[in-house]
Amino acid sequence: MYQTISIVAFAVTVGCLVLNCLISPCKECWRHPLRKLVQLFTLLFIEQKLSLMGVLRKLVYLLALLCFVVLAVTGFYPTIILGEHISGYLVMVHATFAPIFAICLAVLAVMWARNGCFTQGDWPWFGRIVQRVTLVKSTGEETHYQSSCLGQKITFWLIIFLALPLILSIIASMYPLFGTHWQELLLAIHRYTALVFALVVIVHTYLVIRTQTKQ
Amino acid sequence: MRKGSILTGFLCLLVLCLSAPTVCLANEAVGVDTDQKLLGDESDGSRALSIHLIPLFSENEDGEKGEKIFPDNDPLLPFSTRWTCGGCHSYGIISKGWHFNSTAPSVVSGRVGQPWIFVDARTGTQIPLSYRSWPGTFKPEQVGLTAREFTRYFGRHTPGGGAGELETEDPDEIMREYISGKLEINCLSCHNAEFAHNQGECFLQVARENFRWATAATCEFASVSGSGKDMSDTYDPFMPEPPEDPKKVPPTITYRKTAFDKDNNVSFNIVREVPNHRCYFCHSNMYLDKEDAEKWSSDEDIHLTAGLKCVDCHRNGIDHNIIRGYDEEAGITQNPLAATSSCQGCHLPEGEDEPKAGRLGAPIPTHPGIPTVHFEKLTCTACHSGPWPRKETILTKTSRAHRLGTLGVNKSHLALPHINSPVFAQQPNGKIAPHKLLWPSYWATIEDQNVAPISFDTVTEVVAPVFVDIRLPASGDWPELTAAHIAKGLAALAKSVKSIPVYISAGKLYELDDSGKLSEEEHAAAKPYLWPIAHDVRPAAQSLGVRYCTDCHDTQGPFFFGEVAVDSPIAARRDTVKKMVEFLKVRPFYTKAFAFSFVFRPWMKIICLGSSAVLAGVLLLYALRMLACIAKALTERD
Repeated sequence: MYQTISIVAFAVTVGCLVLNCLISPCKECWRHPLRKLVQLFTLLFIEQKLSLMGVLRKLVYLLALLCFVVLAVTGFYPTIILGEHISGYLVMVHATFAPIFAICLAVLAVMWARNGCFTQGDWPWFGRIVQRVTLVKSTGEETHYQSSCLGQKITFWLIIFLALPLILSIIASMYPLFGTHWQELLLAIHRYTALVFALVVIVHTYLVIRTQTKQ
Repeated sequence: MRKGSILTGFLCLLVLCLSAPTVCLANEAVGVDTDQKLLGDESDGSRALSIHLIPLFSENEDGEKGEKIFPDNDPLLPFSTRWTCGGCHSYGIISKGWHFNSTAPSVVSGRVGQPWIFVDARTGTQIPLSYRSWPGTFKPEQVGLTAREFTRYFGRHTPGGGAGELETEDPDEIMREYISGKLEINCLSCHNAEFAHNQGECFLQVARENFRWATAATCEFASVSGSGKDMSDTYDPFMPEPPEDPKKVPPTITYRKTAFDKDNNVSFNIVREVPNHRCYFCHSNMYLDKEDAEKWSSDEDIHLTAGLKCVDCHRNGIDHNIIRGYDEEAGITQNPLAATSSCQGCHLPEGEDEPKAGRLGAPIPTHPGIPTVHFEKLTCTACHSGPWPRKETILTKTSRAHRLGTLGVNKSHLALPHINSPVFAQQPNGKIAPHKLLWPSYWATIEDQNVAPISFDTVTEVVAPVFVDIRLPASGDWPELTAAHIAKGLAALAKSVKSIPVYISAGKLYELDDSGKLSEEEHAAAKPYLWPIAHDVRPAAQSLGVRYCTDCHDTQGPFFFGEVAVDSPIAARRDTVKKMVEFLKVRPFYTKAFAFSFVFRPWMKIICLGSSAVLAGVLLLYALRMLACIAKALTERD
């Protein structure tokens, strides 16, 4: 069941992102794909112009990204590909990277929360959604850049919000507080939260990349 | 018209009265070897105690029902359960029960169990035997033991039947069997609730080859003297003549005269629910974990302490198809209660039609903090049964292996056979369970890597004289054998057997190479025999993991890294040990690394909880700020 849901969820998410790429393509990417790839790669480096805090922020961000990849691979590979519970060395790697990821998330939450605040610039995009729903004519134009920013902010807060049940569900199960039934429930919460969390992170990363490549 | 009705009624009554004894007699006639249920095989629903005031019957020289026994009969014969109990209870059906059917080839052997262990310290032999097809055990005939010899060695701790009733074709054995009789099913060994019942007598009678007298000897109103073993082949127990040698006493039974009532019936204190101490005679365990391992210093199984009886879970009907109590049994046995009588069946019942929880007062465990993966990888007994694991396994005595509860038993802790426990090992179903372990030591031949034990008679004849100078310890422990002794034994055997002789011990196969030197190698035939421990179940507060994960997941913890003693008569091999992890079929490095990760587990919890607190704080802070913004916006609009 979980295996099927996960596969479908990942497929739908990736499909949506590809569709988004096709619907609103990055013209520069098609013209100079190699250049864009290099640019994408350079996103992993620390820019010289960054302040100490900026460097720290980027380092933490990159570390969090690395941890996420490791956690996602170790967590989803056995469940999605092998169709079994996480065990063996994978669980050890998973448990080793998990606290690092938790720290990174906490640091990022503190450092990026201010950037994630919704501003008035985000409202026209919301307005457009409202207009579409209510069939009222648009009164203004908003850019993709703005919508990406809003998407980034939403996904950022979703990541912070989902991290709580993700972490607490598995930590709580380690204490002799919950019986077998609750253990199963906590494990299910961890698994399904992890799935949503992973999807949100993928979308967030996609939006960040799009924003960065358009700048 | 009325007269006619009365006459008809009277005739019916007459017919019924006349037919009743006929039915009983017919029952008695067919009851022995048929699968037909008899008078006592089906309950009328009353839970009251059934009174057994019954006549005693012996078996005659043709193996058929003999005369009713009177205390002054001459010759006075022992009563036969086949003909005494078999009058109302189908002996044929009962004999197919688990305790009696080991020799039946069609019976599914089920989960491996405790073997019979044939021991001879002089020849360095300790070999697991069973008529059941349990991998790792040998059929008695493989070591040259006939059913009669097997009964002579091990009948002491059986409730009779099985090998004790197998027919023999050996003319010598037929003659001896005429004297000794067969070891019938001894109904009393389980169902006699009389305190004066002495099951230990069974050992004496079996040793004296008084098989026919064994059942009567155990009961409270008969005593048996003499020995069938001492009688000549021509001795006739049905027309006994005094033996030529006055020192030899023929098997003789004496009944307590007051046991017989005016009709010469005898009252048996028979109970349907077998008392625990009857089970204990064959199923006691003694864990030699301390110098003073007396009974009073250790507790019984928690179920018994809670007031249950063994037969509350190990139930059976008239077919005596008793529940062994393991998980997969429900798919093998015909016993309808098997599924609900295992640990899970009682403590974690499933069923939507009607609530099944709380049967026999069983508490429903919550297992707080135990990850559910444990229930997939471990049996219930892994955490709850047997002695608490220690750094090293401990020597264990069992009733059947060490003939506990019988006369003249060797009480030394080192008495053979050497059984080690608890050994945590993976079962064929993939689950880890605690086991008892026996390292087989025996002489064999090898041909195309197939190892076959050599007949014990040959070993005694050839090897024992070679080892005649070796001192046997009074403790019943192994003698001090050396590689040179083994080489000598193999050299002697090479002249007597057709294939290449080998010696199996301590998990190795020893053989002489072309130059006559002793070589050793690992071999599948030398693997230890393990059988699961089910009892004694410890209280929940003493189960593994009750303190912390490190009860098992510790880099030095006995569950994974305990030492399993390797047992062997070869002195040089005795100090070797194997790690428990080798029996668990898990990767040692991984297990160590995983156990090591628990050192950091508290840190991980603190870090994760701390991070969660920060995340929650940020969320709360910005949620409040957002609320403040909304409130401000609304205020400005107003």
